[in-house]
Amino acid sequence: MDKNAIKERSLERYKAERDWFAFLLEASDLMVGPEMQLQSKLLKILVESKQKVVDCVENDDPFIAAYFCNAPELFNAMDLPWFMLMETPFLGASAPYLIDDIQGAEEIGIGTDLCTAIRLPIYYIESGLMPVPTAVIGLLSPCDGAPMLHQVLRHNKAWRNIPIYAADPPYSSDDRAIKYYARELRSMVDFLEEHTERKLDMDRLKSVCEESNRTYSLWQEYNELRRAKPSPHGWEIGGPQAFAISQCFIAGSPKCTQWFEQLLECGEIRVREGRGANDNHEEKIRLLWFDIMPYGWIFEFMPWLEEEWGAVIVMDMFANFPYTLVDTSTEESMFYSLAKRNLIDSPMIRQARGTAENFSADISRMVKDYHIDCVIWPGHMGHKDGAATAGIMRDTCRDLGVPFLHIGLDLFDKRYTTVDEVKSKVSQFFTAMDLG
Amino acid sequence: MDSKLTSTAYEECVAATASIVNPAVEQWCEGGGRVVGYFCSHVPTEVISAAGLMPFRMRGTGSDGTELSDAFFSSINCSFPRHTFNLALQGGYDFLDGLVCISSCDHVRRVYDNWKRNLQTPFLTIMSLPRKVEDAQVGWYHEEISILREALGKHFDVDISDEKLWDAIKLHNRTRRLQREIYQLRKGRTPVSGAETLAIMVAATAMPRSRYNTLLEEILVELRQREPRNGYRARLMVVGGELDDPSWIETIEEQGGLVVADSICFGSREMWADIDESLEDPVEAMAKYYIQDHPSCPRMYGDQPRRREYLMNMVREFDVDGVIGERLMFCDQWCVEHYMNKADFKEEGIPFLQLDREYISSGKGQLRTRIQAFLETMGK
Ligand code: SF4
Ligand code: SF4
Repeated sequence: MDKNAIKERSLERYKAERDWFAFLLEASDLMVGPEMQLQSKLLKILVESKQKVVDCVENDDPFIAAYFCNAPELFNAMDLPWFMLMETPFLGASAPYLIDDIQGAEEIGIGTDLCTAIRLPIYYIESGLMPVPTAVIGLLSPCDGAPMLHQVLRHNKAWRNIPIYAADPPYSSDDRAIKYYARELRSMVDFLEEHTERKLDMDRLKSVCEESNRTYSLWQEYNELRRAKPSPHGWEIGGPQAFAISQCFIAGSPKCTQWFEQLLECGEIRVREGRGANDNHEEKIRLLWFDIMPYGWIFEFMPWLEEEWGAVIVMDMFANFPYTLVDTSTEESMFYSLAKRNLIDSPMIRQARGTAENFSADISRMVKDYHIDCVIWPGHMGHKDGAATAGIMRDTCRDLGVPFLHIGLDLFDKRYTTVDEVKSKVSQFFTAMDLG
Repeated sequence: MDSKLTSTAYEECVAATASIVNPAVEQWCEGGGRVVGYFCSHVPTEVISAAGLMPFRMRGTGSDGTELSDAFFSSINCSFPRHTFNLALQGGYDFLDGLVCISSCDHVRRVYDNWKRNLQTPFLTIMSLPRKVEDAQVGWYHEEISILREALGKHFDVDISDEKLWDAIKLHNRTRRLQREIYQLRKGRTPVSGAETLAIMVAATAMPRSRYNTLLEEILVELRQREPRNGYRARLMVVGGELDDPSWIETIEEQGGLVVADSICFGSREMWADIDESLEDPVEAMAKYYIQDHPSCPRMYGDQPRRREYLMNMVREFDVDGVIGERLMFCDQWCVEHYMNKADFKEEGIPFLQLDREYISSGKGQLRTRIQAFLETMGK
């Protein structure tokens, strides 16, 4: 294949995702209401970010592959476009080709008990369906799958010569661990400066961090609103969307802050008017969904929860953590705070990277703060450390006196446990616990 | 028919490998000796030895179920920690005075969390193992080893001096050298089977080290006088992780595949390199060994090219005809590593077979069939 054909193939899925979001954007533009405006804005940001990567590939401009927990404020401050290697399973997961691609991964011989969110990018890398960036910032946590994905990337012939750096996440979470991680982040910046011809300007970093602090303060304020009964929002807005926008796409930009201002406004209006997440269905069960959303079948399941049971996802794993505000007083304090936020606060990394304390502490905190009626741990097939924490979560919930359900499913592949089976398990649970 | 090893030294190793509380452990405990369990080859066992304690590598040998641990782990967890933790819940590890866990994989690291909440072992800790193998990580692990040294010393009220650490390093390096001598004998017409070798290797982790070294010397004398193995169809290498059951290798060998080399946790990776005795600081020497010098496993990111080279060298040095990649079900690390191994061996024209297994194997029928088919595809 010639260079252009290789490029074209690497963008195939990426463009399809861009078009998928553009299609959703068109549909959401037709709907009215402030929440829909927020959705539209988010979709527009997604489309723009996809387009930016397409442009970079086509014009040979520098861009990188990285992750939300690699301190994206640094990329922003360096003016580096970036995308997430694991983006598709999370973003394009409801797109029509997902099952075909999972099958494709099986056909090239990747074990089926490996997390689907890892299998898919491996498949894309191995089949030339992933845009090849100027440099890669890898991810070595929270699970065993993530480093293995990057090891495959280094093994792949087309990627072998792409420079890659991955910060080493310590298993502990004390001051020593944060300082070590801060040094790893500094090495990451050195690496990026060497390989992308972009420089990190400390004044620029300071202003990006200040902006991201504004965002995080608004987010915390907004999360207070979700304590209200009924909760102003459920799965559709304010949870994973807030995460995506603040950590994955436009971290530390004024546009991001504006989105959160609008989110807060929407929430306030609803709370003032006593309106719940779904105008047509009363809130009967306040649910903590303690994991990623089931992106592969989200639209077949989440609305059903509200419509059938009045079950509202008041909180989820990605929606509320005590995000560390960056201390912008010195260069050292900025790196230290960024290390703390990205090592300890980032969702999923926070629970799964280290010891199991945060599984129980976060459940306890959220159950109390948000008046949760029951906790669902979906039991994603990739979350092996979480699977080994199921007993601890169950015990935590028993001590809190709140019902706990562990399902066992694949958040991306609905053939693993079908949506009907999941619904039936959830219904049985609600009925047995006399909820709803 | 090849004869079996018969010396009492070998029998003692077999006994240590076949059970948890073996005669050597019993004797040690009866004499007032204390035992500290550990998970994974990255735990610096020399520190435990230097404290006058016996390091004991955690296994689930003899477990007949996971009923108790199923309340804590799930069906998508590796059966090794599930069986091992089940044994512990049944009281099978009550003889431990301490346990050193490590962040080695998603399954094993959670043993620490569940152990902490459900068992009363007097000393319990978890080490933070880095993911990379660069100098910064050696520095981090230096601190981790120092923390372990201090905590063990404090808890067991012993002074773990540099001198004691060097003595322990020398003792463990002696084990490595003796074990390598056994492997040297396997390069040509080997007098020892793969199953026998594994039994000898596992025993190192389940008895006092000086006793073990004496046994190894006796076994080496016996092996040097022994006739080479005959009547096999192919020379095989086993690559993988937590494999401590000689009967699994025996099943392969019964089909005619003589296992002459390996890269497994209880095998060559344990002893292919020594801890550098020429350095000034024993902690530095251990940190360097456990992060950089020790042949790595897929837990360590960025080192796959070196692992590939290690495997290819083994194939050449041991004149290997085919490679078996073993993996415990649900292990992500070996799942992906073998995906790469398969491609690498294919490139070199070396037959490779991946076998997924459960930690406690029930029924060897399927294994027999797969091995026979593999040998046939190799034209053996
Ligand atoms: S979804 Fe879970 S298992 Fe999969 S990559 Fe993320 S943390 Fe790892
Ligand atoms: S085989 Fe894999 S999953 Fe099992 S203990 Fe070893 S590294 Fe962990």
